[in-house]
Amino acid sequence: MLQFLVRRFIGFLFVILGVTFITFIMGYFAPGDPIRTLLGSHYSPLLYAQLKHEYGLDLPWYQQYWNYIVRLTRFDFGLSFKVQDRPVWDILKDGVPTTLELGLWALFFQILIGVPVGVFSALKANTWLDTANMGLMLVLFAIPSFVLAVYVQIIIVWLDTKTGLGWPVAGWGNTWQYGISDIQSKLFPTLVLIAAGLAYFARISRTSMLEVLRQDFVRTARAKGMRERVVIYRHALRNAMISLVTVFGFSLGLIVTSTFFIENIFNVPGIAQVTITSITDRDYPVIQATVILLATTVVLGNLISDLLYAVVDPRIKVS
Amino acid sequence: MDTQDKDRELASPEMVRSSTVPPLDRFEIVADTPVPGELFTTPLAKNEGRKETLSPLRESLGRLRRDKRAMVSLGLIVLFILIPLLGPLIYQHIGGTYHSSLNGSISASIYHNPFHQELDRQDEFISGQYWLGTDVIGRDLLARLMQGMLVSLFVALVVEIVDIGLGILVGVLAGYYGGWIDQLLARFTDLMFAFPGLLFAIMITGIFGGYADTYLSSIPLIGANGNSRLILVSLALAFTAWPMMARYVRGQTLQIKEQQFIEAAHTAGTSDLRIIWRHIIPNLFSIVVVAATLDIANTVIGEAGLSLLGLGVQQPGSSIGLMISDGFAVIENHPWEVFLPSLILTAIVLAFSFLGDGLRDAFDPRSTS
Repeated sequence: MLQFLVRRFIGFLFVILGVTFITFIMGYFAPGDPIRTLLGSHYSPLLYAQLKHEYGLDLPWYQQYWNYIVRLTRFDFGLSFKVQDRPVWDILKDGVPTTLELGLWALFFQILIGVPVGVFSALKANTWLDTANMGLMLVLFAIPSFVLAVYVQIIIVWLDTKTGLGWPVAGWGNTWQYGISDIQSKLFPTLVLIAAGLAYFARISRTSMLEVLRQDFVRTARAKGMRERVVIYRHALRNAMISLVTVFGFSLGLIVTSTFFIENIFNVPGIAQVTITSITDRDYPVIQATVILLATTVVLGNLISDLLYAVVDPRIKVS
Repeated sequence: MDTQDKDRELASPEMVRSSTVPPLDRFEIVADTPVPGELFTTPLAKNEGRKETLSPLRESLGRLRRDKRAMVSLGLIVLFILIPLLGPLIYQHIGGTYHSSLNGSISASIYHNPFHQELDRQDEFISGQYWLGTDVIGRDLLARLMQGMLVSLFVALVVEIVDIGLGILVGVLAGYYGGWIDQLLARFTDLMFAFPGLLFAIMITGIFGGYADTYLSSIPLIGANGNSRLILVSLALAFTAWPMMARYVRGQTLQIKEQQFIEAAHTAGTSDLRIIWRHIIPNLFSIVVVAATLDIANTVIGEAGLSLLGLGVQQPGSSIGLMISDGFAVIENHPWEVFLPSLILTAIVLAFSFLGDGLRDAFDPRSTS
């Protein structure tokens, strides 16, 4: 077990190093001279050299990279290129709780709804209920989140103009507060974000449940006259859930990608939205910081699911 | 050469697999073209011979042909390829001269151009002159849609070439030889999986989009008219797609490598390169086709998504994603303009997903049961 933990942790460090290196190199070769842009009409060679030194951009690349990593460990993502002396973290930090809230609710409901839907389908396998259900899930999984968001927006806007409902089409309300108007703003972005992952969890749970139901211990349980409810919920379901643990990381990835579009379309002030704005401003450190934050989240998710897998399925230690 | 081909057909995994499949119905067996090299072409001999020698590929295609959803999707896909290639050629000759109050007398080839603005014909709905209406600055929506589909097609093509080429090359080498190249692939895929979906492409296009705008915008067709970032978008998407392909190919190669016909080829003194080229790569066909079909769906989504975020095709160019973002601005009064590109994108993506699903079932019937 210890060996497994150590190996996974080394893998984790390797990936994080790789992510930071790729992100760093992107910024290193980014077009344009940020110092020049920053100075604008105040340009003078002396000031230029001074500022370049202050940002640490006059060092060779490996020293810049080293400094970059050292600063990252202190949650210091460097200074913004757009606004002088404003740390990148300062720009992003307001968006973090919003993105976190959106993502966590989505993940929660994906599992809460997706798993029962998949298990239900497995129990009704090869009936019309199963076929219809899985057809719907395939469509939900295939349709990109921004198209789904557009459809939802069209419907809300249409209802608003037809009935004078006044349902908000953009914004997020107050973070982690749930008054009527907050819930109104949060409902649809969250629903759209739920869709793809829900379908994914449903499909995985169905496959996994079907596999478990075919196994010998289920037949044994049935043969000795155990009630069907107990067979399914106590024996089969528990074992089927094991494989769900392994896809946790991937489902986080789904959420992260969709977040960009959903924050953009529903105008949710999270970090993805801030990042898109920074791209137009060519404020590369903000993009780098967001990429590192999101990638680290996904890698951490993968690590957690690996560890959980080792806990729930002791056989993993052998391999 | 001939004997080697036979070897492959007899011992390929699909052949082994197909023995577990229920026999095809009569309709399938009697069907179509002559088998090359077959001497007896009398109907009786043909039918009898065919029953035995139906190749695994044709059996799979037979299964695919009976999958209604996949066949409808295939039909749609053919349309999606033909419309942007042939549509503009026809469309620009349809409709007579139009006496514009702003531009004087203009012919259809001008006002049916995806970039032409007819400023007093804004936000129109479907009409005889503008078959799918006009957008907020009076550009023809059908023309823009066809141009957008052409962009999707181009990006999908470039991505698939890189994806399949690199995926097979690295995957086969990693699976066949193992060793450091396998280790390298494993580490690299681990690394790429840390960048979920579009995150990597968003970073690349976000940072280097400016370069592309400066240096590539003078190239005709794929650079001009706001298309300067297409190459960048394609490469970014291909870069995220190929590790997965390589992984599938590696897994399949490992399986094939263990089979007896490879051992036989080794014993007969066939070189490694020849084994890979004649025996392994042909057997990767099914897995590569399925993975590539599903990848096309992701690529089309990726290009549209990047353009929607303002990172792909730029104005005055057209892309399905850009049309969604343009139409979104007027969603309250003219929902049609955002609905149309969304609907087409949905159809394209579903068609490729369904076809990919159907192909997987056809090539590997056990996967559904």
